[in-house]
Amino acid sequence: MIKVALAGQPNCGKSTIFNLISGIKQHIANYPGVTVEKKSGVFSHKETKIEVVDLPGTYSFSSYSLEERVAKEFILDENPDVIVNIVDASNIKRNLYLTFQLLEIGKPVVVVLNMMDVAKRRGMEINVERIASMLSCPVVAASGAKGEGKEAIVEAILQAKNAPYNEFKINYEELEPTIKEVEALLEEDTLQVSKRWVAIKALEGDSVILEKISHLNTTIKEKRLAFHNTHDKDAESFLAALRYDSADVIYHQSVSEKQLGKKTVTDVADSIVLNRWLSFPILFLIIFLIYQSSIVYGYKLTDYTWPILAAFKNFIIAISPAPDFTQVPMITDFAIWMVNSANALLNYIPIFLILFALIAILEDVGYMPRMAFILDRIFKKFGLHGQSTLPLVLGGAFVGGCAVPGVMATKGIADERARMATILSVPYMNCLAKVPFYTLLLGAFFEAQMALMMFFISTVTLFIALIVARLLTSTVLKTRETSPFVMELPPYHLPTLKGVVFRAIERVWMYIKKVGTIVLAVAIVLFAMLELPGLSKEQASSYEQRSQALLDAFYQQTANTSYGERLNTREHVAELLNVYDDYRARRMIATPDQAEKIDATFEANHPFYFTFVRPPADNAEARAINRHLRNLSRDRRGILQEIKNTKIENSLLGHIGRSLEPITQFAGFDWKINVAFLSSFAARESAVATLGSIYENNAADNLRAEEAMAQNSGYTPLHAAAIIIFMILTPPCIATMIVVKLQTGSYRWMLFAIFFPITLGLIVSSVLFTLGNQFGWSGVEAFALFYGLVVAITLFVGSLPQKRINWSGGLVKINLNQEEK
Amino acid sequence: MNLDELESGSLCKIVKIHANDALKYKLLDMGFVAGAQISVVREAPLYDPMELRIHNYLLSLRKSEAQLVEVERL
Repeated sequence: MIKVALAGQPNCGKSTIFNLISGIKQHIANYPGVTVEKKSGVFSHKETKIEVVDLPGTYSFSSYSLEERVAKEFILDENPDVIVNIVDASNIKRNLYLTFQLLEIGKPVVVVLNMMDVAKRRGMEINVERIASMLSCPVVAASGAKGEGKEAIVEAILQAKNAPYNEFKINYEELEPTIKEVEALLEEDTLQVSKRWVAIKALEGDSVILEKISHLNTTIKEKRLAFHNTHDKDAESFLAALRYDSADVIYHQSVSEKQLGKKTVTDVADSIVLNRWLSFPILFLIIFLIYQSSIVYGYKLTDYTWPILAAFKNFIIAISPAPDFTQVPMITDFAIWMVNSANALLNYIPIFLILFALIAILEDVGYMPRMAFILDRIFKKFGLHGQSTLPLVLGGAFVGGCAVPGVMATKGIADERARMATILSVPYMNCLAKVPFYTLLLGAFFEAQMALMMFFISTVTLFIALIVARLLTSTVLKTRETSPFVMELPPYHLPTLKGVVFRAIERVWMYIKKVGTIVLAVAIVLFAMLELPGLSKEQASSYEQRSQALLDAFYQQTANTSYGERLNTREHVAELLNVYDDYRARRMIATPDQAEKIDATFEANHPFYFTFVRPPADNAEARAINRHLRNLSRDRRGILQEIKNTKIENSLLGHIGRSLEPITQFAGFDWKINVAFLSSFAARESAVATLGSIYENNAADNLRAEEAMAQNSGYTPLHAAAIIIFMILTPPCIATMIVVKLQTGSYRWMLFAIFFPITLGLIVSSVLFTLGNQFGWSGVEAFALFYGLVVAITLFVGSLPQKRINWSGGLVKINLNQEEK
Repeated sequence: MNLDELESGSLCKIVKIHANDALKYKLLDMGFVAGAQISVVREAPLYDPMELRIHNYLLSLRKSEAQLVEVERL
């Protein structure tokens, strides 16, 4: 098997080439210990197996960024047979800077001149053979976006593996004697790479290499110092300058540019997109369009996908053991609970698919770094990066978003500290699934001021996210690696359909696979905690008596009809009721066409019961029974609801909710609210369902959930304000937390992302509730005060002077520069 | 003079990099070597960072960092 490492600078089209040569059988994992993604693919060519590993895109091969360390460690530790270096043909000079460093490693290198089509369009003529002879390695011309070059690349890999390695040397002039000295110090076969390369890297102060030869570190330090003293230059600047000079030589000898100095498409586009007056309107328009087409239209799309999920649910109910009147088997309850949890997640897939596709387009086009360029000045004040914009918007600017894609979109942020801060602040944005919960509380307690409160809720979240980001970057994230804002603005490219679709599906699949499994596991735990220990004996028998009374009444109502004797056992009535409820559930989600089919199926399967489920117009008796049936069904639901409530009260979660009351009472939360918060951690949607079911004490009174809550809870609007504030601050759901784990690469950060907001939320809502009680604030007053405070803090934090960043912080490294000063 | 003092449209040559550590390495890798030509393309809409053209590609740099690049006007 041939092991191939794919290296190249960012924006050189490396992933396109990767997809081109490795096909669809890809494996995505992380490099050990870090969140840098490692993609690999295996394919066969002429009976030779070839494994391609996609190294992270790096401008250089030094050790100052995480990606560079990861790439270099891979080469040193995994010892690939061939290095394939992808070079952007339209930007040869800077790309060669990396090529030289790869050639020095001492492994066979194949250079792929990618984006030949772009180079041609820009009027560049490239002499490929000339470059090959100057670099003394095979050079292949390709155009990944057009699918050209696959065969040639694979052929070159096979040949390079067997061909002898041609040493490539740049003459480093004054540094050469020092390089030779260091080379002589290195023992044989310490590393499976060129000794010259190790010597050069060590003199550059490369920490990965220095760690490998730690016994020589003092000598190397002395040699660096000596060079600095004799030549008044430090080794790394000297090497960089020589590499750029060499790149310049190759460039001038092999490339002729006919349109140099002419405006390119990118120049023209930038003069509009980055224009002082147009940039913001364009940015807002793009953000608005993304938001509109994913969150808003995507949500509408769920109207069409929901029936599929509902049908799935009906199917599961149908194959689960049928309830015996008010005795529902636990397995059935469990099945329904699991389906509901799964559906809550799957329901978002249309939104995610659109969203991920749009993000992929923005990435490919090259707009992301431009967005960062426009907004960096604002975001850097809060410790974030210009590239934090999109994650925050997706997390829920405007009326609601979803933190899952928001956190996933943080991937491209170049600055590690800002990326962490973004990951940890996105969950504060307004989660779409929290909106029904707000609506319920607003409807119950703030009917008159609903619009104002909704405005407060949806705008305060961004301010909170910014404050939290600033707080974290100046405390727990203070020592995190941060990188300078030296960001390339790559030329605009048209995205390829294949690439966009591929990535969108890949990301959705990851969501289903990684998030889905864990959410379902949590759902099982929650189910057990809500269900156990269940009803006490007395409670069970009391409910049973009431059920029996309902049944007896129904027997009486039907006794005098001609159907009486067939509807006088519990077994039959329960069956009839199940058919009745099943029919109604199915009809609810059916189109008129399907409705007829459902009618026909039911009539065929249950000819007798169907008479009462859908009584013929001329059968007065059946119609009367249908009426009674409807009442019976409603009363049964009432009892089931009560049983559910009693179970929740008895349950483990109920007990936990109660035991938290001593703490949460300061925020005005009773155990019911606690249970609602706890149980909705799998998916926020269920908060409404839980609260609704706790407060709808008897379904027979037909109150809307809002009314029931306003009447039965004993809460004041101040309570509601405290609850809303807590909900705003708490993390959206377990799915988000899993994604946080994936993106930060650590469970500790995930736990932090769970408990820090909860603590913060509890403190803030407690303070507000206690003060509000003391001074007799109304709910709106308390909330307005909270809002004002948050805005004031944001403005204050934003106006704080910026400290000059000390670029020595962050990465553990062996510092050689200190001695030189 | 330093790079951050230049207005859009001006052309200059790098004299010396005064940055240290991560920033220095990053700048070197991106081609900020003595003698390299830089043209200032524009400032960001909020006046910071600035967009530069160096070795015929585009790059953005915060002014706080551009301040550490000593240049000579061409």
